[in-house]
Amino acid sequence: MFALQGRYAAWLFIGPSLMAVVFFIYLPMVLNVGVSFFDWNLLRNDFTWRGPDNYTSTLLNIDFQSAAANTAIYLAVLVPAQIVFPLALAFLMLRVRSALVARLYRAAFFIPTIVSFSIAGVVWLWLFNPIVGLLNALGELAGVTPQRWLNDPSLSLWCVAAVAFWKGFGLNLLLYAAALVNIPRELIEAAELEGAGPWYRALHIELPLISPTLFFTAITTVLIVMDEIVGVVDVLTEGGPYNSSSNLVYFLYERAFRQFNFGEAAAVATLIMVIVALATWLQFRAFERYVHYQ
Amino acid sequence: MTTRISRKQVSRRRALGVLGTGVAVATTFGSRPAFSADTSIDIVHLFSGADHPMELVIQAFNAKKTGVIAISRQEGTTYEAITPKAMAGIAAGRPPAIMTTGWKLASFAKHTLGAKDIRKIGTDGDALLGQYQDSAIKLVTIGDSVVGVPWAMSTPVLYVNMDLWRAAGLNPDDLPATVEDLYPKAAQLQQKTGKTSLVYEVNEWLPQAFIQNAGGDVLNAAGEPVMDSAEAVYGIEKFVEPNRAGFWKIASINEMLAAFQTGAVGVIASSSARASGIRAQSNFEIRVAKMPGLAGRARRMNSGGNFLAVLARAKDQQEAALEFLKFCATPEAMSLWLKTGYLNTTRHKLPIPAGQEPAYAQLADGLTAETIWPGPRGLEALKVHIDWISRIVNRSVTVGDGLKGSKEAVTKLIA
Repeated sequence: MFALQGRYAAWLFIGPSLMAVVFFIYLPMVLNVGVSFFDWNLLRNDFTWRGPDNYTSTLLNIDFQSAAANTAIYLAVLVPAQIVFPLALAFLMLRVRSALVARLYRAAFFIPTIVSFSIAGVVWLWLFNPIVGLLNALGELAGVTPQRWLNDPSLSLWCVAAVAFWKGFGLNLLLYAAALVNIPRELIEAAELEGAGPWYRALHIELPLISPTLFFTAITTVLIVMDEIVGVVDVLTEGGPYNSSSNLVYFLYERAFRQFNFGEAAAVATLIMVIVALATWLQFRAFERYVHYQ
Repeated sequence: MTTRISRKQVSRRRALGVLGTGVAVATTFGSRPAFSADTSIDIVHLFSGADHPMELVIQAFNAKKTGVIAISRQEGTTYEAITPKAMAGIAAGRPPAIMTTGWKLASFAKHTLGAKDIRKIGTDGDALLGQYQDSAIKLVTIGDSVVGVPWAMSTPVLYVNMDLWRAAGLNPDDLPATVEDLYPKAAQLQQKTGKTSLVYEVNEWLPQAFIQNAGGDVLNAAGEPVMDSAEAVYGIEKFVEPNRAGFWKIASINEMLAAFQTGAVGVIASSSARASGIRAQSNFEIRVAKMPGLAGRARRMNSGGNFLAVLARAKDQQEAALEFLKFCATPEAMSLWLKTGYLNTTRHKLPIPAGQEPAYAQLADGLTAETIWPGPRGLEALKVHIDWISRIVNRSVTVGDGLKGSKEAVTKLIA
């Protein structure tokens, strides 16, 4: 029987994955950069050279600038919130004595993450309805002036952020809970014997031990906030009123699939790639040194 | 649903009229091409529901066994959603045979999607178009091409919750003909009932009606933006007046419809095509009224809706598509279709669906086209214009500055 060994065997095993990555990720990325220098008519396969014009017009576009500013706000609000809040909840859940209650909490917190947003969006639209919505009804009972929520340019972004948070925090919670459960019991018990209190244990023992998970979620949460919020934006506000709740990826989606301006859309995609790569590099530079791999 | 408008019986004369027109249509089209085996064509549309009239039309066509099988493909709920999928199909060499396309995308359909000129598909194209009203054909004529069949026509109308109207002490037989008449009544309704009295759609379509009824235009005949004229400014000032006076609560279209259907809103202005949907979900009396004009100015309401564009490239697919379009032009198909609330675009004398009389009266007055945004960046111009309207409604700019801003931005895009 022919035996697979040596470096050929390794290539054989990683080959399919490598080809998938090359053909479905790296090659489209390279082609995208190429398209960004052209005006591309998809149907006539008509390419007109535009040089850097797609980039200049994009950077000067007021809607792009507002989408970029909104993206920065979403990141500044949601990344810390989606890390700190689930982390605190995970610590609290570990201290729940009843296993059944802990499981119930875990399920309740994780359900928003797995619910299809096309369904959840309908419910949220009802809650936010400025005329017959539950939020205004509750607000009125408490003596608060009814709000226009998604239709108010000064509130729409915060409504989207709140729903994106509701939808997204469960995943990190699950990861933190799993990481905390996997901390060797003997380490915790040793700390307890040495007289370490709950706060001390959390800050100086448990947090450093789950730092690889924290680092992983810090990277992925940035990507999730950049990317997955598009679904929330699309269902709730379509980026409005007048782009007040849009973000970079939604701007890209509109450019490509609503206005069919594929050259500029490719330029936006390239800019997003650069921003994400830069943000990820910065995160590695700033935080990797604090990660303790056991 | 308790509605004051009872469904009218179809009179014998009307029934005979429909039958007679059917015979005339059959004679007009003459013989149909022979399809050697069943040819399947994809009909891409945006209408959901197995019992939607679009599905009923497709089923009725397939029941004729013409040798063409129409396959319903609902690929989204907006024109913007179904268009990229059709583009992907075209790029891959497998375009849908027919796609429902919004009037506003007519230029895009011709120049980018390559919608076929109906007169150049087979020999029946001219006869087919002869079944439609001239005014409807104009809406699908871009340059020298007829880019589709005018299938769905709507116009902005008022939907009035008559229970609230009466509760406010307003005369049910005196629905307003002008906004100057509507606004005090809306204010009274809000004051007496405590409910939201009025909601307008915030888009480009309803404001277009206000601009035109004030004597202005969004784009002139040459396709140049003129939405900052004195007339247009006056029209939009009238549009936002109830908001400034505190009795139009701003909501999205879906929020507006949901709130109206629960009985929480007195009056909404929306498309006549929503009639069947709004009535089906409401349990109070609804009356449709003509969209009010502006006092002392000539009425000039606009239309909206969609046409059926032939995107097929292969000859047999184009001929099969024409076969389906010929059926769509029959009284049988149009009668099924009118259940949506869309208006009759054909020459056939069909019974007016109960409650839709005001919309038909508005059609009889004459409707202008929905703004067709020209040029390769026309769709971007449309979005920019909607954003400026939204800024005006939300008071972030004055009406004059907002329309000037829209004109400047749109000019750059469609120049």
